[in-house]
Amino acid sequence: MFWKLRLPLALTFIVGLVPIVTFFLSTQAPVIGPAVQFARDRVERYMVIIAGFALLLGVVSVVQGSVRKIERRRPGWPFAASLLAGLVVMGAFGILSAMRVGPFQGLLTAPDGGMTPFFWMTRNLFNPLQAAMFSLLAFYIASAAFRAFRVRNVEATILLIAAFIVMAGRTPLGEYAFGWLPGGERWLPAVTDWIMTVPNAAAQRGVIIGAALGAASLSLRVILGIERSYLGTTEK
Amino acid sequence: MKLERLVNIDRRIVYLCIAVGTTLPLLLPIGLPVSSTPPVRSLFEKVESLGPEDVVLLSFDYGPTTAPENTPMAEAILRHCFTRGIKVVVIALFPIGGVTMAGEVLANITPEYPQLQEGVDYAFLGYKDGAQAAMKQMGVAFVNVFPVDNGRRPLGEIPLMQRVVNYDDVDLIVTLSTNVIAEWWANLVNAQFGTPVAVGATAVSAPKYYAFLDSGQMIGLLGGLKGASEYERLVIDRYPHFARLYDRPGVYTAIKGMDAQTVDHAIIMAFILFGNTVHFLIRRRDRRAGLRDA
Repeated sequence: MFWKLRLPLALTFIVGLVPIVTFFLSTQAPVIGPAVQFARDRVERYMVIIAGFALLLGVVSVVQGSVRKIERRRPGWPFAASLLAGLVVMGAFGILSAMRVGPFQGLLTAPDGGMTPFFWMTRNLFNPLQAAMFSLLAFYIASAAFRAFRVRNVEATILLIAAFIVMAGRTPLGEYAFGWLPGGERWLPAVTDWIMTVPNAAAQRGVIIGAALGAASLSLRVILGIERSYLGTTEK
Repeated sequence: MKLERLVNIDRRIVYLCIAVGTTLPLLLPIGLPVSSTPPVRSLFEKVESLGPEDVVLLSFDYGPTTAPENTPMAEAILRHCFTRGIKVVVIALFPIGGVTMAGEVLANITPEYPQLQEGVDYAFLGYKDGAQAAMKQMGVAFVNVFPVDNGRRPLGEIPLMQRVVNYDDVDLIVTLSTNVIAEWWANLVNAQFGTPVAVGATAVSAPKYYAFLDSGQMIGLLGGLKGASEYERLVIDRYPHFARLYDRPGVYTAIKGMDAQTVDHAIIMAFILFGNTVHFLIRRRDRRAGLRDA
């Protein structure tokens, strides 16, 4: 009970409270100033280290999931195998290069000024593969826009008109559309700017404020021990 | 029945049109004109107001997935800074390829300026995990977050970093971002330390940052490839010797990329118009058929 529940709750409460309290207290204050500075610095430095462990957690999770898939010969297991191979090879070269072990001296640039094996693989394998995956979006977006953008009601019509203006206004198309009229080349870009800075900014502001309030309330629930799902328990 | 076939055309036809619309303009550039918008001009003018005594912190908060949008921004801003003699501190806070993107861009740009000395005119501090905590600690001291630079040189031995202790010594922060990290630069660093922040964002995430721009928490915004091309155009117009560099055949620039983006937007708009026209015709046909049956 103590190790699995009370201690984690107490740690969460203290660590969660320090950034909030130290934010409102001055480091120049006569008596508590140095203590505030010390606590703030420590917690922020620990956060950088803990974030590193989150990456490790991700790697462990990917390895576990992939190994299970390969063992049970689930559909697509060869992809899991190639994922693991990529992880091991890239990871090994990256770690050895970063730690400067043996011939691997430097993460990006070798002592002779050339590319390190890790940087070579990043440039010629990792980057093109990542870019190729992301570029597929263009094809899906085009296909989805063709199928989904339909004038079905008033709201959909407004959305379609706004999308057309922004799509044209964010490219030289917008300047050509009314370019034959005096001063017309600025019309569509000006309307695009208005859409982005007025209705769009207003909606985004609402989303950002709503998300921030949600994050603040969830953080409070975690700090106060009301939300305990991160411990794997809902026990009071 | 023929109309239904038109509205359900094979999606591979759409894919083919997009593939051709992207490939052809990249191979055979059209040279469409690019004009600038206020958020881009604002960042450009801010950099123009800086000089050799000033420091820009350039944060690579993107990976290879959005490199076609973010890398031209990084290159144009670095060229602008180096041309004006502004000192640049380069960091990376994005875990999936941020540091290699920064290394690649620096490797491309610094040879154009043989007089530059690493450590004196620019410093490359490398990658650090835990973006929010790292951002806050850099407000106290860069050395707390980056004890050594990317080449494992202690920060105390780097001449530029001897005078750049924390955000008080930075005149402008530019984040080239693919995700929420740009938002943190605004609401953690600008709001708490007051350092001006500008963002080079992907087109998908740019709409969100107009709210920060409006509130003054960001002083400039490059939105996607369009923003990058506008910045390139402003740099070329102010420093005409860059025109030759950007016009080199086989070199990808945002201005050239805009040709492909413009054609793709036109194709998507044409497909949407076509789909809606057919949809409208089907509805009219069905309504008439309904009236006839009645």
